[in-house]
Amino acid sequence: MATTETALKEALTSIEGATGVALVDYTSGMALGTMGGSKTFDLNIAAAGNTDVVRAKMRTMEHLGLKGEIEDILITLSSQYHLIRMMKGRGGNGLFLYLVLDINRSNLAMARHQLKRIESEIEV
Amino acid sequence: MTTLRTDLTTPPPRLPVRDRAAARQRAWGGVSPMLGRLATERATGVLVRERGSLYLADGEVVHAESPAVPGLDVLLTARGTLDAAGWRDAVGAAGERSRVGRFLVESGRIGAGALEVCHLGALYDAAYFALSPSGAPGHFTYGDRHWLGPVRPVPVAAVEHETLRRRALLHRIWPDPAPDSAPLLLSGSPAAPTVTARQHAVLALVNGVRTAADIALALARPAFHTLVDVRRLAAAGVIAPKAPPPPAVTAPPPPSASSVSSAPPAPPGTLPPSFADPNITLLKRLRDALEAL
Repeated sequence: MATTETALKEALTSIEGATGVALVDYTSGMALGTMGGSKTFDLNIAAAGNTDVVRAKMRTMEHLGLKGEIEDILITLSSQYHLIRMMKGRGGNGLFLYLVLDINRSNLAMARHQLKRIESEIEV
Repeated sequence: MTTLRTDLTTPPPRLPVRDRAAARQRAWGGVSPMLGRLATERATGVLVRERGSLYLADGEVVHAESPAVPGLDVLLTARGTLDAAGWRDAVGAAGERSRVGRFLVESGRIGAGALEVCHLGALYDAAYFALSPSGAPGHFTYGDRHWLGPVRPVPVAAVEHETLRRRALLHRIWPDPAPDSAPLLLSGSPAAPTVTARQHAVLALVNGVRTAADIALALARPAFHTLVDVRRLAAAGVIAPKAPPPPAVTAPPPPSASSVSSAPPAPPGTLPPSFADPNITLLKRLRDALEAL
């Protein structure tokens, strides 16, 4: 029942090692809200770019005839984790949460679990 | 004599020609010059443009509406986020005080985050169409407030930036804007294997009559999102815009017929009748362009 701003703020403060988080509409590529990031890491650009990642994966699944839904996508860089969590919800608009983690300060299993909880707080 | 001859051979001075791209940018490509001024003066009221309206409060965008897009009520009620009775009750109870949004959250009908997300989606969707290039200048009425009340105000710069980004996104997918407004036809070629489930729902409604806006309303999806699907399907060669009917050649064209053939195809109800006269539209475009200099 939180506002998007408080939910994103909670993600940034409560998830160990989180440096940025965004709520993204993947059809338009628009970030509906962002928190964190830096001058050198523009979350709006990351949001728009990662919609292509999600779309490519969905298309591949269509090709393969896989019926399951994407729960999350993990991208591992040398110093960061990028976690994309698809929001289920009734809105059906195709939203995802995008979380950037510092690889040295984070606990991936815990972060996935916490992101799931934050998704349920926004509950579209 | 010699001087006259040299005068004749000298080419006349070049007429000043405006760079068309730059002129378009100044006149209406840069979204709306008026909107920028209203943001600077922290205005409150409603900006009515040809294809929609933007509501401002203290220079920030609080709501947007366009006849081309499904409204917030449609988006909220279509999938059971909110029931229709709950929406009607809220409008009845808090519409007078312009606090429908707050009422919906405080009465527990919808979560604050869910309302924000749906409202932002509807706001940017309507703003995209309200800020589309138009043949007539917008006008601003000071003091008007929308009955929904503030949900999450957005800076004007963010709305302008997003609108331009969306235009560029559509252009990248498929540069021809014809499928945005024309009735859509299945092109008869077998569906590309890359058609997604979302796009299948769009394809199922293509029948040679419905436009992208009709399909968006039928599916209760944001209209811009439907344009993204429609342009992707057009790029894949699965659908095509229906060509406008050839103008009648029998009788001398009455004024209404000429306005129909010169105006771009638009979904019914988007153009107020006062803008239908091509002469008035031309004069207004001229005034709009001059004002924007």
